[in-house]
Amino acid sequence: MKLKSTMIVLCVSALLFSVFPPNSGLAADPYHLGVNLAITGTGALYCKDGVDAINLAVKEINAKGGLLGKHEIKVFVRDTQTKPDIAVREAKDLILRDNVRTILGTYSSACAVAMKPIAQEYKVLHIAAISNSESITKDNFSPYTYQVVPNSYMQAKAVVLGVAELAKKKGWKEYVTIASDYEWGRSTQQNTVSLLKQMAPELKLKKEFWPALGETQFTSYITAIMAQKPDFVIGSIASKDNVAWMQQAEAYGFFDKIPYPGSLISVSELILQAKTLTRGLIGLCRAPFFAHLDVPRMVEFVKNFRAAYDRYPSDWAVMEYDAVYALKQGIEKAQSINSDKVKDAMKGLSIDTLRGKLYFREIDNQLSCSSYIGVVADDPKYPFPIYHDVVEVKGPDSWRPEAEIIEARKAEKK
Amino acid sequence: MDPSLIFSQFLSGLSMGMMLFLIASGLSLIFGVMNILNFAHATLWLIGAYFCHSFWYLLQDFGFGMWLGIFLAALMLAAVGWLIEVVLIRRVYSRELPEQLLLTYALVLILGDLIKLTWGVDDRLIARPPLVARPVFFFGVPFDSYFIFVIGVGVLVAVGLWWFLQKTKYGHIIRAAVYSREMVGALGIPIPRIYTGVFVLGIFIAGLAGAVQAPVGSITLGMDMAVIIQAFCVVVIGGFGSLLGTFVGAIIVGEVYAFSILFWPQGALVLIFVVTAFILIVRPWGLFGTPMRT
Repeated sequence: MKLKSTMIVLCVSALLFSVFPPNSGLAADPYHLGVNLAITGTGALYCKDGVDAINLAVKEINAKGGLLGKHEIKVFVRDTQTKPDIAVREAKDLILRDNVRTILGTYSSACAVAMKPIAQEYKVLHIAAISNSESITKDNFSPYTYQVVPNSYMQAKAVVLGVAELAKKKGWKEYVTIASDYEWGRSTQQNTVSLLKQMAPELKLKKEFWPALGETQFTSYITAIMAQKPDFVIGSIASKDNVAWMQQAEAYGFFDKIPYPGSLISVSELILQAKTLTRGLIGLCRAPFFAHLDVPRMVEFVKNFRAAYDRYPSDWAVMEYDAVYALKQGIEKAQSINSDKVKDAMKGLSIDTLRGKLYFREIDNQLSCSSYIGVVADDPKYPFPIYHDVVEVKGPDSWRPEAEIIEARKAEKK
Repeated sequence: MDPSLIFSQFLSGLSMGMMLFLIASGLSLIFGVMNILNFAHATLWLIGAYFCHSFWYLLQDFGFGMWLGIFLAALMLAAVGWLIEVVLIRRVYSRELPEQLLLTYALVLILGDLIKLTWGVDDRLIARPPLVARPVFFFGVPFDSYFIFVIGVGVLVAVGLWWFLQKTKYGHIIRAAVYSREMVGALGIPIPRIYTGVFVLGIFIAGLAGAVQAPVGSITLGMDMAVIIQAFCVVVIGGFGSLLGTFVGAIIVGEVYAFSILFWPQGALVLIFVVTAFILIVRPWGLFGTPMRT
């Protein structure tokens, strides 16, 4: 009899504990966080790191009780396959089926631009942390979309500042561009060319090359560019396309013959092409961990990321991690998980990031993050080359002036 | 324009053409003999690239690791091809083309997921041995030394296939089966065994093509989708089932692509499809194909 009553007490206790866990009083709603990234397709190289960093950040936050100390974060990951139509379908599904309050995205600006109106329609926050076309936050402005990556204008400006100076020093006159034929490639190339016209009007654009997104064979582009005999080449190619392009260009001795300054060489490329990447290239990246080892959060993050995944974090990991913490800080300011309140709270908000203290610009919700230019060189501390002589071009020094954004939006309305 | 640069562009087109020939020859052979339009051909090609990476990874400490890896990858894929033919393909020989297409398209999805399960979603990269890591120079024009190997393999496969089809007994039987499988069957020749052999040979070449492609750039999911369209263009231009047609079609596609990039970069991809559409309209059986088939 005694045993029977003990069993009943135990069962009832177990039931109560499962329904009302300790430390929670009555458990608060979990926070559903959507992640819409390119797990497959052209963007897969960058996005795996992004997902891993998001999971790491969520684990840390949940270990401290969740958002506001009571909302456990549940992550829902979807694969856009780097296709805008699938990105839209998955975004809708995340919102309608999984009831997510925020979507972190994504690779391919075309996917981000396609997702933006969906997030706005359903009043769900959308934080772009990898895709960086300026049009994500500049055109058809959505108050629900934030960007924690330096946008294509900021990156172009950073490149142009460096290239204009190099051109003067070296007497360069003509250049060609090669850019992937999709939203980000077009946007970056156009911004670079237009800024170069302003800052170095003596430079002449000889020819533009537009390989398709997902191109695997760059040999004809390489020989065609060499046939132009330009003084230098500006490239806007990303992810696996970038790896294929650089790998094949190196096999032609391309980089020994033609300067290729300021093209995207993120930490992913530095790691993946550790053995083959030409040393001495001048590259551009978005959030290299090694540029911010003076920030204690970054040191801690690198340590934890390496412990969890046995590799160094790429730019994409840094920015997705920052996106989660930007959201957390927005929620803390709003003291609510309501997406409308959070989006208002994030307006102009200063946040602590792995890249130091940064803020969202009110006019376009763009984070004041930096772009980084440096010389690819070996470093005894790492099993891959990193950037040396890093030049950090700060966000406020490189983003588009507010007056131009206002002008562009006026033109949009007409 | 400097003639040496035109020559350089020609070599680029040739190397691309040879790569396409390696992919399309197996596709064309299988369709020509078996009447099976294998939509999964390029996905099998991609698996060949992944196999090559795996073998290279195991053997990378040896100087010959990559070369042996290429050969072993082709053999492995031939074994996979045999399994697919025995378990799946032979069950749809008598079915309509849409049903065959459905099966091979399902194979694309299944194999794609198998790749993810086996190799993950990370890109793979093969570090080439020093012999083919740097350019060679023809008349002062740089050329990726690895592509000499690619062109060599393409020519070897073309000559080898030609010799096999024209000069051997089995080749004669296969050629006869292209025109009338019933007549070949009536002579007491076991058609199913011929089909299995042809399918395995076609997939062996696909594996070889994937393995040869592997050291060119990164190996990644989704590469197959871009390639299959170009491979179809090659066989449409050359004619399904025609080895010579596939060879010529591949060179046409490669050179059209290379020279349009040089002179009209915006229209490079469009031109290939314009040529393909033109051939489809004026000569639906391709340049070297034949409308005869029973």
